[in-house]
Amino acid sequence: MAKFMFVYRGGNDGAEEPSPEQMQQAMQAWGDWIQGGMTAGWLLDGGDGLKPEGQVVQPDLTVTDGPFAESKELVGGYSMVEAADLAAAVELAKACPMPAAGGTVEVRELAGHTAE
Amino acid sequence: MDPEVTPTEPPQLVEHFFRHESAKLISVLTRAFGVRYLDLVEDKVQEAMMAAVQAWRQPGIPANPSGWIYRVARNRVLDALRREKIHQRALALSHQTEEAIESLVEEWLSEDQLPDSLLRMIFVCCHPGLDRQSQIAMTLKILCGFSISEIARGLLISAEAAKKRVQRAKKTLAQQQIKIDLPPAAELQNRLSVVHDVLYLMFNEGYSTSQGHEPLRDDICEEAARLCHLLCQHKAFSTPETRALMALMLSHAARLGARVDSKGAVVLLAEQDRTQWDRKLINIAEVWLERSKTGTPSRFHLEAAISLVHCHASGVAATNWRLIVQFYDHLLTINESPLYVLNRAIARGESGDVDIALAELESIRGHREMRSYFLLDCALGRLHELGSNRTAAIEAYSAARSAAAAPHEQALLDKKLTQLRGP
Repeated sequence: MAKFMFVYRGGNDGAEEPSPEQMQQAMQAWGDWIQGGMTAGWLLDGGDGLKPEGQVVQPDLTVTDGPFAESKELVGGYSMVEAADLAAAVELAKACPMPAAGGTVEVRELAGHTAE
Repeated sequence: MDPEVTPTEPPQLVEHFFRHESAKLISVLTRAFGVRYLDLVEDKVQEAMMAAVQAWRQPGIPANPSGWIYRVARNRVLDALRREKIHQRALALSHQTEEAIESLVEEWLSEDQLPDSLLRMIFVCCHPGLDRQSQIAMTLKILCGFSISEIARGLLISAEAAKKRVQRAKKTLAQQQIKIDLPPAAELQNRLSVVHDVLYLMFNEGYSTSQGHEPLRDDICEEAARLCHLLCQHKAFSTPETRALMALMLSHAARLGARVDSKGAVVLLAEQDRTQWDRKLINIAEVWLERSKTGTPSRFHLEAAISLVHCHASGVAATNWRLIVQFYDHLLTINESPLYVLNRAIARGESGDVDIALAELESIRGHREMRSYFLLDCALGRLHELGSNRTAAIEAYSAARSAAAAPHEQALLDKKLTQLRGP
């Protein structure tokens, strides 16, 4: 088995902020997905979301505000997943609520440098 | 893991939790800070709920989700007020200290006190200083937690129009410095009647299938009934009219599910599977109508009574049409609406008096509200059918068909015409 990181970008597409009902549906979808993954064992860590604001340290150690990526490019969160191979991990990513919310899931295998 | 905690199913949110949480927090916080901070409160409540969505994904929903959102929303409102240096002024205006406001707000959020804030907000959203369209839009926005695009979708208007209605209302409320109060006794009757009208129209908007079926519109019906029920729980507002309106909404709601077939197509009353009607709701509607007795029945009483006659009939033929005609007679003494005349004519025709019914329909043909004639031609078609005048029925239904705007109406009329033209 290999470990993968799901990197979430975008989501909540549309100009308008989500309505309370949409928020509840989104939360329900994520809750169900995480619950399902934990129970089945392939979800190692549901991960977390990232706040949109932050700062960037440059090579010369100057610090800039940012990241000022477009909201669909902005990393919004991550999860840790275990799967047999990349193809299997991609299948798991397809079933997560992110695509339906208009966002993307980048599926990346951990290199395993720190593994024993 | 805490050894004290026995693993159980994670807490689940009740249906529409966020929607109602939004209404609750906006009502209470706006009551605390004043209607001029309505926009700010709305923004912060929205932010607090977004934060909840993020925070609750992983460890799951907390034991007291309402308390969680409230604390975040309250802190954010206070932070925003402090940042904008309007805090001190706001406090000064309200003659309260920050601590006093906080404890007040927590008191208002308690289960037994919450309805009071919601009711105040209903009277604000249905303030007579606002036009009817804005009252409906505001009620959906503030008390039902609908977004602008949901309001637009629910009311079949553009998002731009929905936004304008809400903004117009907020501007008026702020300009007129409307207090978040319950109406004084002297105005109670009039103010309550505005609320009735708004909830009635809201329900009708949701119930209408003129544009086909859309699940969000069922939610509007549910919300209108929920708010009406809130009125019913309050001593001063639970008048015979309020209870009759409750009965009216529930008796219609009982038939919501049967109005659409498995493919989402609209099914007319005559063809509905009546076993699908919700008997439990019909019984509750009956109880409310029973409790609404008064010497001077309102249009809500009579419309509820008509609706319940349908609810109790096993089919079109078994319907007590003569009783329905009597109820419409009574309704017309309250309000001379050509729509009542039209509906009475159909009931009269169904009860056997086709000729009188046809004459009555002709009498309203010139009426302004009958401008499009679509409903009138449908009714004519039905009456000619009942009078076994096939040619005239085909003529009337054809006229209706050419005026029909919505695809499902066209389909229903095409079906009717095919049946009539026969093999």
